[in-house]
Amino acid sequence: MNLEDIIKQTKTYYCLECGKCTSICPVSRHNSNFSPRLMLERALMDSEGELVHDRELFSCLTCYACSDLCPSEVDYPVFTQKVRSLASGQGEHGDCAHSGVLFSLMRLTAHSGIKQKRLDWLDGCRTTQRSEVLYFVGCAPYFEPVFEDIEVSPVNIARNSIKILNALGIEPMLLPNERCCGHDLLWTGDVETFKKLAHINAEMIKESGARKIVFSCPEGYRTFKIDYPQYVKLDCEPVHITELLAQNLSRLPLQPRVKQEGISPEVRKVTYQDPCRLGRHLGIYEPPREIIKAIPGIELVEMEHSGGESICCGTSVWTNCSSYSKEIRIERLSEAKATGAEVLVTTCPKCQIHFKCAMVDKGAEKGPDIKMGVTDLVNLVANAMETRE
Amino acid sequence: MNKEDGRKSVLVIGGGIAGIQASLDLANMGFKVYLVEKSPSIGGRMAQLDKTFPTNDCAMCILAPKMIEANSHPNIELLTYSEVEEISGGIGKFRVRVKKKASFVDRSKCTGCGLCQEKCPWKVDSEFELGLGKRGVIYIPFAQAIPRVATIDKEHCVYLLKGKCRACEKVCSAKAIDFEQKDEHIELRVGAIIVASGLGLYDITSLTEYGYRKIKNVITAIEFERLTAASGPTMGELRRPSDGRTPENIAFVQCVGSRDFRNKAYCSSVCCMHATKEAMLAFEHHPGTKSTIFYMDMRAVGKRFQEYVARAKKEYDVTYVRGRPGRIEVDPENDNPIIWYEETISGRVMSFEAELVVLAQAMIPQITKEFADILGIELNEDGFVKVPDKLAQPLDTTKPGIFACGYVHSPRDIPDSVTQASGAAGRAAEEIASLGSRGGE
Repeated sequence: MNLEDIIKQTKTYYCLECGKCTSICPVSRHNSNFSPRLMLERALMDSEGELVHDRELFSCLTCYACSDLCPSEVDYPVFTQKVRSLASGQGEHGDCAHSGVLFSLMRLTAHSGIKQKRLDWLDGCRTTQRSEVLYFVGCAPYFEPVFEDIEVSPVNIARNSIKILNALGIEPMLLPNERCCGHDLLWTGDVETFKKLAHINAEMIKESGARKIVFSCPEGYRTFKIDYPQYVKLDCEPVHITELLAQNLSRLPLQPRVKQEGISPEVRKVTYQDPCRLGRHLGIYEPPREIIKAIPGIELVEMEHSGGESICCGTSVWTNCSSYSKEIRIERLSEAKATGAEVLVTTCPKCQIHFKCAMVDKGAEKGPDIKMGVTDLVNLVANAMETRE
Repeated sequence: MNKEDGRKSVLVIGGGIAGIQASLDLANMGFKVYLVEKSPSIGGRMAQLDKTFPTNDCAMCILAPKMIEANSHPNIELLTYSEVEEISGGIGKFRVRVKKKASFVDRSKCTGCGLCQEKCPWKVDSEFELGLGKRGVIYIPFAQAIPRVATIDKEHCVYLLKGKCRACEKVCSAKAIDFEQKDEHIELRVGAIIVASGLGLYDITSLTEYGYRKIKNVITAIEFERLTAASGPTMGELRRPSDGRTPENIAFVQCVGSRDFRNKAYCSSVCCMHATKEAMLAFEHHPGTKSTIFYMDMRAVGKRFQEYVARAKKEYDVTYVRGRPGRIEVDPENDNPIIWYEETISGRVMSFEAELVVLAQAMIPQITKEFADILGIELNEDGFVKVPDKLAQPLDTTKPGIFACGYVHSPRDIPDSVTQASGAAGRAAEEIASLGSRGGE
């Protein structure tokens, strides 16, 4: 795909240069070098030369705040995704966070013969070898050691997801050699590796006989729902766990006391962060809220910007994490604090990682008070079930 | 003139400025005109406006004489508070069934004294004032209404709903109140029909980024018109909704729902000019008022329009900022709206605090698919009347003998609507005359 095809596919031709995108962009508000409008203008005016070498190409969060409001329906996130693949072909990459270890892991699993030992954390979970329902674990086991120091446990989300499925009478199967879904590679322009991962995963899923794949990660969910069908054939339906839970609320044994790691059992008020992938990408706003409201004794309070107007956690695909990302996080956490909530609930492990990171930052003491509990909705639900005994 | 001879008469649908103009032209040519208006008074959208661009003339001062002329013209029969129900036949011999809605007031007896609306114990939001003012359940829609008669709003009348009240009846010295009145159906024979049903306002509450109905000091342009009109709910004192204070710093946001593929893809065509006019009016009401207009493309394409914009900048301190705001928030301390926008000349993202924000709400053709079906005409993809030959017969619809003018035809301002109305009247007369020369039936 060349730049002209990208312009056609994403309706960039229709851009009115009105600036609505830039005015709403969470990055542009802090980083004056980044402007979706000017990026599109450059695509229309110049050959791809200047565009692919623009360092800010990798600053976009692909959060869809812009395209959701665009009067011309230009698909800016997909424009970004495709131009990044052009850039990637010319050796351009964004600034990679965490010394690139996460990308190394993604690319490592793209080898077809690789054997992993990724399911050693299943204690207390009931799973089977053969089931209609497959739970897609995602990156959790790899994230676990990387983010241990900021006290985020993605594996705990996976464990709790399975426990909740068990409570609904579902014993899911897991793929012992599940691969990275490829989300971060696709959105940083490495389409070739993404395709390899998609093919391996699709093949394993086909062999498993699964009819339904449950995700607790919105990125994996989006990837399977929107991106995989463009490259591979999947004969099963991807579902996000919040959709499944919202449909089965009456069957969940929810109890009125919540204990969380590091969070007092008296927690009463929570607020909800819509992850971009679940919210604006897929339009799932209500199910997570219905679930929170169904937990006895928990009150949901909304932030100033919520639902379709939510603000992203500040970094996407581990790329171009900067002081601007931190500013966005501080802004968002200040909004969360202003609600009077004790805990910020989200449904994306990366949101949790990014907000926790902002709180443990050494410089954070000088800024506004942003310290609060952060957890995944799945943990909140699992804990509300556990207090039963 | 034989009243039964349809070829000598024309039906005009809509009593706004376009419908009035078409009716007057035809009536002056000697045709019998039936002017059907669904609301209790003629006048239409123009009656709600304070001033008109590009001359800043008082809208009512231009409109009222035409309304009076239409009312008193021997060849025009006003059928207000009436709706077209059914149409059959074709050019030269249309049969039209019209419902004269029960107003529960004998319109021939009512003197328009207004005592009933004053004494009516029940008040509801006035449609004419867009809910900014109240009216009685029995009401005369506005001060210059024609015909000046009262109407009972049966949706809200406590006597009609619950069987108790009749306060209006007690004060009516003309004995005009008639609770027994029923809808009446009449049949007309006409040779041609002119559709001039005007414009509606697009519901912009779904465009949540602008905060309309959520932020008190964010209003629409038509609401602003009522707040500056001397006959309006504030007697022409511009006051902002939150605290009644006169705003000294006003922002206008253009293209709210217009030129937007998710809403209305077309340009509403009059907003650049009415925002300019409203900014001037604010200054005239309260010299020193600062207005800032956030626009995308300045469409000052009419005669003397560009000069009008230049005058706004020079004499009225109006600033034009190129950028379409992405969000309007509110400062809870003072209820001031805060506009987030990209100033697209410099490329900087900025916020702008105003005391009042006026949104240029998109306008829509006021005609439903169901009504178009009754007429037997087609609408285009945006809901405007479909015009098969835009160049040679720009006022003809898809059905011979039915013509269209004004906003229902396509987005346009008052002078263009009036021009079109005369054109449509001419086309109707021409078609009927040519039937006559061919001998007709």
